[in-house]
Amino acid sequence: MSGANTERANEPMREVCISAAQAVTGLGPDLESLWRGVLAGESAIRPLERFATGRYLSANASWIAGLDCNDGCSGIYPLLERLFDNFGPVPADAALLTASTKGCVDVMEALNGGNAGDPRQVPMAATLAWISNRFGLASPGLNINAACASSTIAVARAASLIAAGRSEAVLVVCMDLVSEFVFSGFSALQALSPELCRPFDRNRNGLTLGEGGAALLIMSRERARREGRPELGLIAGWGAANDATHITAPARDACGLIQSVRQALKRAAIGPESIAAISAHGTATPYNDQMELTAFRALFGERPLPMNSIKGSIGHTLGAAGGIEIALGLKCLEQRVLPATVGMLEPEEAGDGFLHKTAQPIQGSYLLSTNSGFGGVNAALILKRGED
Amino acid sequence: MEASVIGIGWVTGAGFGWGRQGGACVFSDLPLPPLARKDVFPEPNQRFGRMSEYSKLGLAAVAFALRDAGLEAWSAKRAIGVVAATKLGCLTTDLDYHQTVLLQGGGLASPNLFAYTLANCFLGDAAIQFGLTGSSVAINEEREGVDALRVALEDLAMGEAETMLAGICDLAVPEQYRGSVELLPGAAFLVLTATAEADNSYGSVRLTQDGGVFFNGSGVGSLVELVQMALAGRQV
Repeated sequence: MSGANTERANEPMREVCISAAQAVTGLGPDLESLWRGVLAGESAIRPLERFATGRYLSANASWIAGLDCNDGCSGIYPLLERLFDNFGPVPADAALLTASTKGCVDVMEALNGGNAGDPRQVPMAATLAWISNRFGLASPGLNINAACASSTIAVARAASLIAAGRSEAVLVVCMDLVSEFVFSGFSALQALSPELCRPFDRNRNGLTLGEGGAALLIMSRERARREGRPELGLIAGWGAANDATHITAPARDACGLIQSVRQALKRAAIGPESIAAISAHGTATPYNDQMELTAFRALFGERPLPMNSIKGSIGHTLGAAGGIEIALGLKCLEQRVLPATVGMLEPEEAGDGFLHKTAQPIQGSYLLSTNSGFGGVNAALILKRGED
Repeated sequence: MEASVIGIGWVTGAGFGWGRQGGACVFSDLPLPPLARKDVFPEPNQRFGRMSEYSKLGLAAVAFALRDAGLEAWSAKRAIGVVAATKLGCLTTDLDYHQTVLLQGGGLASPNLFAYTLANCFLGDAAIQFGLTGSSVAINEEREGVDALRVALEDLAMGEAETMLAGICDLAVPEQYRGSVELLPGAAFLVLTATAEADNSYGSVRLTQDGGVFFNGSGVGSLVELVQMALAGRQV
């Protein structure tokens, strides 16, 4: 950085910790049920009942009962209510960041189909205001839309704000629904698996959609300690980069993901040898998974390094994916176990040393979590195990 | 936290342009001009014609801002990031796409339209067109683009990039959503660089600890206001 304004060059960065984490997924209403389900090799993917799927490539998704759009009210709100039920208090001075690709898309669908709905619910501003009011926050918040890397970039931004001393605490809320709008689109792109998705399998044939949410309270480590809050883990590094190659497909040379991970390693001031496990994006599309394996081989070489994807358990939750995976990553570091990849029956040959059919021990303190998406976006986050 | 403004580009109902070309950036409720490829790129560009109107709008304003900054031409990819604030994002494209879903139970859903149903997609187009490998995000905020400036300045300060684009982008509010959101359609982008004394600077933008934005020492209430302050002091 050549400019004289680089705060990083002048001031020590503050340590950033996650002091609360919660998730609602097809596997259950909280992080514990997600952890237990993924560890047990369960999948919440099953036939959809929310809309007719007869004209689409797939009939399946990981969906949550009770999130239908009723009388024009979005399913986002019951999802958020469940997410916040057991979340605990949030400091009133916390900044608010949300991550969602389509927000209340179900209300847009209702209105466009001639049904009841309030058009004021469709802009993300309505959801931001609802969350801000729910916790009595001073921050009006902003929503990050960076496709399937939205959550990871939102968490990275929260960490950056805290590290630079611009915020003491940030509430990050990640959410997306299974809608016919998105389901039909991925079907039209020939990207849906007709069966259950099979991440990193040599016979993978597309993704399976899911819905869910995650909430993370991210704080300066100093303040969390001062207030006696739990330290679930630290955010040690982060990075984001664009492939600048294609709108809907990843760069085959994985240039954007490699750049993102290198940024994250540099920020964490660690080498690749310190990474003990990888929570990959692993959508089960042929191109995405191949791109990720290319990136990780370039970054980590031939050394054995456990890696997984949870898309076979809870589907691809789009803008919520990174947040849910970060919440689960904290559990993985705490328990020192990386669950197996549900759906992966025959591991891709290029993933030798990375891919395992059984849960693997995590022998180290750092977990790398990555996501990539439409528009060429890539993001990487490095979690460090919290102190016992 | 300070940066120099080295490029400005815009598309509004009153027309399109860039800072050193002359002209004013005036947001109004006039209809946006239809954008043809030749309005934006001197060379043939097959992708532009296939883009959604939202993407064309945003990409054009980014192109004009980079042109103004002397950064339009490139040979190697560059770590330039983009932050775009939008209230409705690609809602107009969403409505067009959803019409194709409503036909024959989704059997005629358009994959080409679906590819443009994310608010950040035009940032991907910009990354491809101009070789931008920095972080690119769309944000939804209610501070008239001030948060886009804030995010870009924070990224510069943290060393995430040496150059950032910050802007706003919204099409007109669709008919059935009139009254649910207030906005003036159009797009405007600024090129910001962390280089302290850039030769081609319009002036200096500063972010205070409490989130306030100042241009050459004067408070700024919106991104458009900053654009107009910068243009008022330019030498064409």
